[in-house]
Amino acid sequence: MKPASAPVRTGDDSGRASVALESDEVLMARFCEGQAPAFDALFQRHSRQVRGYLTRLTGSASTAEDLVQLTFMSLVRARGRFLPGSRFKPWLYAIATNAARDFQRRGRRPEELTPEGELPTGIADESPGPRDVGLERAVRQALDALPESQRIPILLHRFEGMGFAEIADTLGLTESAVKVRAHRGYLRLRELLAALRTETLE
Amino acid sequence: MTPECSRVMDCLGETLPPDLAAHVARCQECQVVTGGFEFISGPSLAGPSLAPAALASAASSDDEDDEDTLPGQLDARRFALEALAKQPKARPWWHGLALLVGVHAATVGVGLVLLSRDFWVRNAAHSSLVVGVGVLILALLAAGTYVALSPQRRVVPWVAVLATSGALGLTVVLTGSGQQGKSFLAGLVGCMGTELAVTVVPLAVTLVLLSRSAFHPARALAAGLSAGAASLLVLHLHCPDGTASHLLWGHVVPWLGLGGIAVLLRSRLPTSSHAP
Repeated sequence: MKPASAPVRTGDDSGRASVALESDEVLMARFCEGQAPAFDALFQRHSRQVRGYLTRLTGSASTAEDLVQLTFMSLVRARGRFLPGSRFKPWLYAIATNAARDFQRRGRRPEELTPEGELPTGIADESPGPRDVGLERAVRQALDALPESQRIPILLHRFEGMGFAEIADTLGLTESAVKVRAHRGYLRLRELLAALRTETLE
Repeated sequence: MTPECSRVMDCLGETLPPDLAAHVARCQECQVVTGGFEFISGPSLAGPSLAPAALASAASSDDEDDEDTLPGQLDARRFALEALAKQPKARPWWHGLALLVGVHAATVGVGLVLLSRDFWVRNAAHSSLVVGVGVLILALLAAGTYVALSPQRRVVPWVAVLATSGALGLTVVLTGSGQQGKSFLAGLVGCMGTELAVTVVPLAVTLVLLSRSAFHPARALAAGLSAGAASLLVLHLHCPDGTASHLLWGHVVPWLGLGGIAVLLRSRLPTSSHAP
């Protein structure tokens, strides 16, 4: 998509300050009533975190950018499906997770494939600065090696700061089921990282 | 791994207390682990989760955010404003449910009118059985439609969908009148064709509505079975052939097949919204 020529401005400063103090749920209710500044505030609050989550989930910052757009466009299109009384953040992350799953189900973008049309063996390092690239890649691969059912609860718990109840709400599971998955995931992660330590020492 | 290493693992992604920070400073293993996780966190992308107050101040400091906002994110904001301009107030999710129920009802009504000549009900089974099975089919039709379109996030269990549809199919087969109609093959082709023809419209509407939310195979199956239930009900009332083999292969198996077709088609259709 082409970038907009200028940032979208909605409402005045006083109105912006007032919506900034409202809860997500109140803002969502206002957005459903047709108030654009409410969406703007929700977007400002959550887009970066959602982008970070999608980057970790997909392993690609460029894919995450596309999926953030899809997530918020889905939010706009399906705002009538947000149930009053429910929590906003799990709903938003459920949309983001579904968007990522749909992306993975339908296949990666052509530019992310090798010239032979195959998946790349490693994830490109897109961060600047002097880092131990091999180590970073190995650790990241350890997380990627987890099955999705364990990886998503860990990502949401560890990196998004969500409680198990919120994660259960996001994934449509019971809280106990989420705890079991996260626990198994952490155990597996420890095994993978222990193997990493051995390789590093060798 | 020492107990301190284990505590560091538990605190990954959070600010370490002083004692653990000191441990990390002298433990090579923990330095490897925390270094790796800092990279996974993506310092420029995520960082620690923000508190509500910080979020509020972040929202108010608009100029700073706009400078860092990705071009694609601006597109999403513009898209929201355009959508609001077209339709300011959100349309409740149950509008789609009401539409689909209406389509199902109209399909059953039109199907019966077109197929029935002298009698509305040509099923020769006992009237209580005809009514009872008809009510069961209607109940499944309504429940399947609700399950398919409801925004509830709870995962729909495959087992429940398959067991319910299997039980209904078995009920249809076992409650037949036993009366022989046309030859087996002619009856089979006639009923299968009718079932497919009657289902076209409800299935098409169902797929359009399903594409407005995230793809869930179990929900798509429930939706397909629900759409097929409209034609199953028409056949249940209209078809005079009540042998078990005819009911199984001419009514129930095509109905179950329609559920599978719905899953297949939905999986290939684009999704306009990934909301639950």
